[in-house]
Amino acid sequence: MDKIDVRTAPVIANDQVAPDTFLLRVQGTFPAKPAQFYMLRAWGINPPLSRPMSIFNRTDKLLSFLYVKQGQGTHLLARLLPGDKLVLFGPLGNGWNQQGDQIALVGGGSGIAPLFYTAKVFGKADVYLGFHAKPFLLRTFKQVAKQLYISSESGENGQKGLISNVFQPHGYDTCYACGPYAMLEALHHTCQNAGVPLFVSLEEKMACGIGACLGCVVRTTQGLRRVCRDGPVFRAKDVIWND
Amino acid sequence: MIDLSVQIGNLALRNPVIAASGTFGFGQEYSQLYDTSRLGAICTKGLTLHPQQGNPGPRLWETPCGLLNSIGLQNPGVTSFVKEDLPKMKEMRLVVIANVWGNTVKEYGQVVGKLSNTSIDAVEINISCPNIPDQPITGNQVARTAKVVREARKACKKPLWVKLSPTSEGSSLQLARAIQAEGANAICVANTFRAIAIDITKRKPVFRNIFAGLSGPAIKPITLGIVYELSLALEIPVIGIGGITNWQDAVEFIMAGAYAVQIGTANFIDPFCGIKVIKGLTTFMENQSIESWEDIRGCAHQ
Repeated sequence: MDKIDVRTAPVIANDQVAPDTFLLRVQGTFPAKPAQFYMLRAWGINPPLSRPMSIFNRTDKLLSFLYVKQGQGTHLLARLLPGDKLVLFGPLGNGWNQQGDQIALVGGGSGIAPLFYTAKVFGKADVYLGFHAKPFLLRTFKQVAKQLYISSESGENGQKGLISNVFQPHGYDTCYACGPYAMLEALHHTCQNAGVPLFVSLEEKMACGIGACLGCVVRTTQGLRRVCRDGPVFRAKDVIWND
Repeated sequence: MIDLSVQIGNLALRNPVIAASGTFGFGQEYSQLYDTSRLGAICTKGLTLHPQQGNPGPRLWETPCGLLNSIGLQNPGVTSFVKEDLPKMKEMRLVVIANVWGNTVKEYGQVVGKLSNTSIDAVEINISCPNIPDQPITGNQVARTAKVVREARKACKKPLWVKLSPTSEGSSLQLARAIQAEGANAICVANTFRAIAIDITKRKPVFRNIFAGLSGPAIKPITLGIVYELSLALEIPVIGIGGITNWQDAVEFIMAGAYAVQIGTANFIDPFCGIKVIKGLTTFMENQSIESWEDIRGCAHQ
């Protein structure tokens, strides 16, 4: 396992890629496997908590995060300019591993964030992205996807509707998904019916990020599990849905 | 060589910086980051007689410079702790303060009894969890607290600390004096504040239990005030807790009369906070030529 540490890194870019969605790039060599995350902060004691963000991409020279400007923390992140300092605590969480050759990655909303790096590391994965409004970063995802499928409310650049309705699990060895609980639950049923294993990356509010405070637990068939430490990746069949 | 050590009753700590209960698990997670035996002590997650699942989510909510939590004492139970977690903590040479919750007066005695002959270094009684709903309170709070401490004292050969609520009915002083009279060895001031947040889109409280516990820098001046008052009036040591995020905060608490401080929410602000506070205190003592904490403890009272 990679050593968990707190590091400060300079911001290279913090580009708006869609209304309220930003791609934050920092300089440095950071260890990370797909679907792991870092706790980020760029402020003092207020708000007290750092913000858990999954890894959008990493190279030997940079690490990047895709986030939606939503609350106080992400509003502060959105103000960062090139040269500003970002504090990163990680890498955290279990991440996911490739199982099989025919892979589908499904993301909805800000849940598309971990799929770029996943597709890059896994190689040759089909990528399904669901957007609320106008789709974005499509050219970026095309670089790493075997086949790219898009859905949105308007149907622009792809199909109309929810990505969980567009996605068909037949023919895949394994499926990996990140997004809202409702989307993940729908995918769980679809994949279960098709007999395709599904791994989900969950999102919860977190305080410590390492499993000490028990602020982010979810119910599973094995009891309460910490999203930050035992997850964020769980087998969909282990999660107790509609909790 | 700078001497940061402090004597709390008959328990000697290498320094006055303690990890607060509920923020540090059983020390295993933070031990991946640094040698946690460098801390003065670690207060465990609150232990109950039987395993507890805690509260359903949401469990966390931020407020300005503060954090509301509604964890609800999720823990493996005292028996599992003694068997599984305590040996690991002792292997790492940690000073272990076992934090204890009882659902009844009798249960406090039972949990403490199960800890009394183990290798823990002290017991910290939690008499004031804002996250356990509908706590049946019989009689007035002072009388009930005295009963809890008496029950724990009877079952406890170890040093006994009592963690006070910052929002006790009537005066904290009356409560603290009763705790002292029952034979507690130290008073920890204080637990989280009973508080709420309301979700304005849902038009209802954020937490399912309505009330949660407020911690963080937002509460620091209030608990500092209680420490100041109680340390003047009590014979037994007072340990300060509440929003301490740096060594300067720790010095304020010591100058207000605290023997030691506990760091809780600040571990989330900076996971290395405890170590940084120890380093800061070391430099402070050096620069000010302070030989022992007695030189400045309670100096703000003069």
